Amino acid sequence: MEKLKEKLVDQFKKITLNDLAVAIVLFIACATLICIMFMQFKTVEETDIADLESMRETELRTALSEWKTKYDTVASELADTEKKINEYNDKIGNDDDAEKLINKELQQSNLILGKTDVFGEGIVVTLRDNDIKKISANDLIELVNELRYAGAEAISINDIRIIQTTSIVDIDDKYINIDGRRIASPYIVKTIGNQTYLSSVLNMKNSGFIDRYTSDNYSVEYEMRKRVEILKYNGEIVANHLMEGEE
Amino acid sequence: MKKNQIAITLGIMCFILTIGICIQLKTMNEASSTASRTLADNELRDQVLKWKEKYENTYDILKERQKRLEEVRAIATQNDTAASAKQEQLKQNNIILGLTDVQGDGIIIEVADGNPESIIATINPSSVLVHYYDLLGLVNELNNAGAEAIEINGQRIVSTSSITCEGTVIKVNGEKIGSPFIIKAIGSQGLLYGSITRAGSYVEALNDYGVKTNVTKADGIYIEKYKGVINYEYAKTISTK
Repeated sequence: MEKLKEKLVDQFKKITLNDLAVAIVLFIACATLICIMFMQFKTVEETDIADLESMRETELRTALSEWKTKYDTVASELADTEKKINEYNDKIGNDDDAEKLINKELQQSNLILGKTDVFGEGIVVTLRDNDIKKISANDLIELVNELRYAGAEAISINDIRIIQTTSIVDIDDKYINIDGRRIASPYIVKTIGNQTYLSSVLNMKNSGFIDRYTSDNYSVEYEMRKRVEILKYNGEIVANHLMEGEE
Repeated sequence: MKKNQIAITLGIMCFILTIGICIQLKTMNEASSTASRTLADNELRDQVLKWKEKYENTYDILKERQKRLEEVRAIATQNDTAASAKQEQLKQNNIILGLTDVQGDGIIIEVADGNPESIIATINPSSVLVHYYDLLGLVNELNNAGAEAIEINGQRIVSTSSITCEGTVIKVNGEKIGSPFIIKAIGSQGLLYGSITRAGSYVEALNDYGVKTNVTKADGIYIEKYKGVINYEYAKTISTK
């Protein structure tokens, strides 16, 4: 016991003032560094949240431009409606002029419905059965959906007009049936719409119809035309089960 | 000897701490730039809300003015039988086109993503999910059964409607929709129900894949009009002489 005490005192004597100063300086330095580190850990945590926020920025920009576009279409439609109201108001009591107005409106409405032959710029996509791949109804449904996405205004497949209520089905894996009419390869899909937009959507790398189907060994050809002619819907377009909704 | 040991230990500690600080200083620089971006984000968010409100207000006015247009149209054509008939036809066209709210009898199909912990899902998680092509398939099958008006989660299907998939989001008419999907269809109720629930139907196939499905008949289904605008610019009528 006595020996141990002697040893400790001996060691204590060895520690000079100089040594003590070094130890203290080092201790303070370490403490400061640790403090700064903790401060920064907090910032790092915040950075993670900020990262999420910045990821949403692009989404926000898309949303903003979407709402702006939607507003623009509705605003121009509203202006159009107001114009028509005024025109009709002017023609009250003047039957001939009122009929002219209604004719114009009805013609545009029939055009959208598919009751008239139409022409305009567009593209023609031709799909063919080959030794590896056979075109099925689902492929045509997929193409029609993509054309609509690309702003197609009128579509026909082998001269059968595709309207809102059209259905495309396989019959025994031998034929494709569109609204009760049987068709076979080659499938010539005509579309009227903005040429540039139609072709750029369809030709998009990896996600566009043409790129996807060509790389999957389907026979797909496509051609831009300044004038595409599409026949009217061959059949009656009626709605026997629809009543105008009352709010 | 002992002093040396202490010095080395302290030296190593300081070295590690310095490296730590250097790494974090870099992160901090990035953080300060994102902080200013967050501010811009809030401004963007405000803008989005502002335009959304602007759109909704204008849309409400448009809806009201379109009703007025119909009234004026009816008044202007009431003395002329030919014009009056055309006015009726225009009204009927708008019903079919999806530009008017409609009601009638039909069926309601509900499809929803299946249980992700089911046995099927553990083999192929994608199989229990509802995909955009499933909705396309269902719409096609409904049309085949003579559906006259179709709506998916509040989005009326019109001649320009597309159903697309962007990442994990399904969009109808450019609007995001999510599971569960409620598809309302008006038409001949018996035909619709029989066709959708027959053996080998699309709904049955989805059910086998582990997707939750439910088909019910419903009377007086109300389907709202298409919330967008159908405006053709490129297609022109070929006038017949």
